[in-house]
Amino acid sequence: MLHQNLEWFFPHKVEEAVKLIEQQGVILHGGGTRILKTSPKSIKGLVDVGRLNLNYIHHADNHFSIGSASTYADIIRYSLKTNKLLILAKALSEAASTPLRNRITIGGSLKDFPIWSSLYAPLLALNAQIEIAEKHEKILSLEEYLDSGMIKTKHLIKRIIVDDIPNIIGGVKRFSLIRFEYPLFTIAVVLQVKQKTVSEARIFITGVKGRHKRCKRAEHFLIDKELNDETIQQAEKHFAPKFVSDYKYSAEYKEHTAKVFFTDLLHELKGTLK
Amino acid sequence: MFKYVNQPIEKIDGLALVTGEEKYTDDFSFNNMLYVSVLHSGYAYAKIIDIDDSEARTMHGVVEILSYKNVNRILYTTAGQGYPEPSPYDTLLFGKTMRFVGDNVCAVAAESKEIADEALKKIKVTYKELKPILNLEKSEGSSIIIHKDDGAFPKIPVFYDAKKNIASKVEANVGDFDSAFKKSSRKIELDFYCSYGSHCAIEPHASVSYLDVRGRLVIISTTQVPFHVRRIVSHVAEIPVSKIRVIKPRLGGGFGGKQEILLEPIVALMTWRTKRPAKLVYSRREVFKSTRCRHEYQTKVSVGYEADGKINALHLDALENAGGYGSHALTVLANAGSKTLPLLNKIENLRFTGMGVYTNLPVGGAYRGYGATESYPAYAQAIDMVCEDCGLDIVEYYKKWCIKSGETSAIFQALGEGKEGVAMTIGSTSLVECLDEGAKLSDWYEKRKLYGPNSDFNKGKRLKRGIGMVAMMQGSAIPEIDMASAYIKMNDDGSFNLNVGATDLGTGSDTVLAQIASEVLDTPVESFIVYSSDTDFTPFDTGAYASSTTYLSGQAVRKCVEEIKKQILKVGAEMLSLSVDEVELNDSRVTAKENIKEEVSFADICQYSLYQKNQFQIQATASHISPKSPPPFAVHFIEIEVDTFTGIIKVLNYTATVDCGTPINPVTAEGQVEGAIVNGLSYALFENYYFSPHGKMLNDTFGKYGVYTAFDIPPMKVKLIKSYEETGPYGAKSISEININGALPGIANAFYNATGKRLHSGPFAPEYVLKVLSEK
Amino acid sequence: MKFPFKVNNKSKDLELLPNETLLHVLRNNDFTEVKCGCNEGECGSCTVLLDGKPVNSCQVLAMSVQEKEITTVKGIGTLYTPHFLQKSFVEAGADQCGFCSPGMVLASYSLLKENPKPTRKEILTALDGNLCRCTGYVKIVDAVEMTAQKLQTNNLEME
Repeated sequence: MLHQNLEWFFPHKVEEAVKLIEQQGVILHGGGTRILKTSPKSIKGLVDVGRLNLNYIHHADNHFSIGSASTYADIIRYSLKTNKLLILAKALSEAASTPLRNRITIGGSLKDFPIWSSLYAPLLALNAQIEIAEKHEKILSLEEYLDSGMIKTKHLIKRIIVDDIPNIIGGVKRFSLIRFEYPLFTIAVVLQVKQKTVSEARIFITGVKGRHKRCKRAEHFLIDKELNDETIQQAEKHFAPKFVSDYKYSAEYKEHTAKVFFTDLLHELKGTLK
Repeated sequence: MFKYVNQPIEKIDGLALVTGEEKYTDDFSFNNMLYVSVLHSGYAYAKIIDIDDSEARTMHGVVEILSYKNVNRILYTTAGQGYPEPSPYDTLLFGKTMRFVGDNVCAVAAESKEIADEALKKIKVTYKELKPILNLEKSEGSSIIIHKDDGAFPKIPVFYDAKKNIASKVEANVGDFDSAFKKSSRKIELDFYCSYGSHCAIEPHASVSYLDVRGRLVIISTTQVPFHVRRIVSHVAEIPVSKIRVIKPRLGGGFGGKQEILLEPIVALMTWRTKRPAKLVYSRREVFKSTRCRHEYQTKVSVGYEADGKINALHLDALENAGGYGSHALTVLANAGSKTLPLLNKIENLRFTGMGVYTNLPVGGAYRGYGATESYPAYAQAIDMVCEDCGLDIVEYYKKWCIKSGETSAIFQALGEGKEGVAMTIGSTSLVECLDEGAKLSDWYEKRKLYGPNSDFNKGKRLKRGIGMVAMMQGSAIPEIDMASAYIKMNDDGSFNLNVGATDLGTGSDTVLAQIASEVLDTPVESFIVYSSDTDFTPFDTGAYASSTTYLSGQAVRKCVEEIKKQILKVGAEMLSLSVDEVELNDSRVTAKENIKEEVSFADICQYSLYQKNQFQIQATASHISPKSPPPFAVHFIEIEVDTFTGIIKVLNYTATVDCGTPINPVTAEGQVEGAIVNGLSYALFENYYFSPHGKMLNDTFGKYGVYTAFDIPPMKVKLIKSYEETGPYGAKSISEININGALPGIANAFYNATGKRLHSGPFAPEYVLKVLSEK
Repeated sequence: MKFPFKVNNKSKDLELLPNETLLHVLRNNDFTEVKCGCNEGECGSCTVLLDGKPVNSCQVLAMSVQEKEITTVKGIGTLYTPHFLQKSFVEAGADQCGFCSPGMVLASYSLLKENPKPTRKEILTALDGNLCRCTGYVKIVDAVEMTAQKLQTNNLEME
């Protein structure tokens, strides 16, 4: 339960918002879904991002800029309209539910990385960058954001930047038995393929031990190889994410199934090459 | 041919439901109302040494706190059953011993829900933790005794041995199983485990109470059994029945979960003591943990048979986990046998043995299917195994051996609910047609030819397909126990008040009962103002359970309206100066048989009878009990695809043919089938309770428990195949429960058809399936 | 404290505390047609439309939506002036206990307004946040398809 003397702020400028959250117990409010899940009493103030003009998706200079107040539904709708951002939109369209997708913001989801996140794996695979509003504005890659521990600090994400690279193929797969369930894991693969040969690869999985993992061994293996059945069969051996057992599934089962899903995904990607 | 019955009449409350007008329990609020919160035990088994509520009592806004310290120690059962209940009296509203995580510790009433919740945190409870039993197989005869010296006792003369943790025991024998089994040339045995499950009615449990202007206690509650609520609250809260009125408003689903008296005594006591309205609404987590669920079961079937498929002997054994208390422990157990064994009635030697044991896990209760869901997986897989072994088509097998019209099963008499059963001959059945039609609709024969574990279709493939089937029966009401009644009076304009104790919990029974009344009087459904249920204004009905409402309450309504019909004809004849023999009912009028133009309208008849001559109120009441519980039948054909790499089972097609006698309302009847199938499917494939090593349920939210959304349903074909049940209203039997039972055995049989392996444990979650596939 | 809101096309001052969800605020202000099934954003009984799009009102802090159009099921049609979508729900038998119905109707309304000719998959996706334990969803999907059909045959638009 949130405190009933909670104070609300509705700034119109990013700088104001940044200043407000410097106060102890004051945090940003996007869609509110995550705040309501945890509802800490320690929250004294909420800074609503609704008037900061951060709800946009632009395409310019070979990249997409996604304002952090954009909801999952906004991105899905944009993708349907433009036929762009397909990998991200697919991942998000399977996440949560229609009413929640209308409410969950991308900024809130990035800041608060739940183990069942459907957002991180595709964004990491796409090598997304984020722009953070601080005294000195800065742009950093999402990987850096996680690895540097920046995610744990208090800050305002302004936008996500995803490069619009031609000739990439990619996909995302998550494990859940029914539509509305927290997925066990999400795998995202993005490959650059030139004349049937993989020239670059980014492979990420979330839901694993340590929350996320870049599957570098599998990436290295795939580079400079032709994406054919044999490669895929071999690639599986280089894909070995580690999981933790939970009350429903053992770590062994998750590890086994992640491998199956990984090869399925590669086969799907191979299919798109023709 | 019928005019109002067997017609797809729109639900009389439909528009009010879809426009949000209808009021559910939590939609009622009163001035000066108190909000109640309950503290539940976090321990599976513990003694309360002391409760210190002094700090909470001084909190601003806290009005009353109930615990063992100020509530009399009265044993009862929370099971909302007929009196005397067949469930043991082993429960206290607030006791000193906590027997499962979720048991009641104490309750606070405060000026707001927030204050009540806050007060719970201020109550200091000192527990002495005890070593719990968290495994049903380790309970019987354990040195840990769950109901030790607490005075728990059976209310009816049945076997009960709390010292050995035995909450219930049932045995029935027909013929001589042992020797017939021994003599049989072929034998199979199969065990099957059924997990816990939650009803997941979307409306959580809630109760609101207040005192009326004359100081009587009014309880509005989410209940399937308002009359049992009145009786049990009277017992537990020590308030005379005459001082209690129970109202069931609209109900947001029940499925058996609201056949339990849990919240009502708490609000009743709060209101009775404080003289203020009180409201208690459970959170979803409380519903999962603290209310009732489907019992966990371990079943075993042993079959002795011959090479031609003739079964000589069949033994079904069931071990039931009652949980901390024995609510429905005996009757669910008995139904595990009585709703399966009569199906193949030509088996001469039958044996049923069952035992319900206490554990320190959540308490089982009534849940749609009621034992049959738990016993069909083993039973129907065993029949499939016999057919596989003998090279017989299972559809033909069921057609040959199943119970037919004019036949009986000795089980009907041998297995009752806490006492001997009632002998019964089958009247209506379209089971054979259901088998044929289902086989046709599902392309059974083509697909059986195509699939199979060694077929070209499946051999060496990652994705294997199979089709399986199951035939089932259930019952319609509890014979010679359940009673329903109705009251009808006529109004000036030719309309009627139809007051029934029957409890529409969302099924549409108010509409179905109005249709039955319409048919008798040849007047539209809109003429009936249906009111259900209110212990002050509607006559007694045992409640909505045991698939009883259409069959039993429907017949009470029919009897009652027949009486009204006589009165109307009499007055009509008098008005037309004819004898009763010379008139008939005709489209809301009484007309002369000879000349249809000689007529008086219902409105004129009522006005005449109220205001003009020989005045009296046209009114009637009728009660009904049934000497029979005619089984509805259903056949399910399920086609699946197994991913042998991941263990994920996907249902490709689901076909159900159902015999419910006359479907009074084919649309609502189909809705019952579809809803039950989907509930059965999600139970078969993933619904479960996962516990911590200390017995705490871990997946206590919809998101973690997992409930099908529209996105998850497979293609379904549902066909109702009529029969005519002479003892039911216009030929009706029941339909609400039976179709939840098909998914587990049907999928298991399809799985065998796809892979050649047998499943022994529900739910068929992928990790378990993968394990089975890897077994040699 | 009272704050101005726009509910079902009418301006209304709603009594609320700053930590309250839209669900509680609406129910406390007599909009009891908005139901509470789980309070955790997982069942959809509390669905309302925010600027025409369905959200779980239990997952929305009321203070954050003061400037938005809030629509409850009564904003679509009432007992006295039911919307043809609501009539389709009754006609198709999509109404059993009715507890999920307000949310289901709103989710369907929002879909059909944006997409009057939805595919089956689009219908299923649009309803993926609304749980129903009674119907098995068959007749709910039928009701949506029936309404889409009515829209096309009669050349109507969702209003």
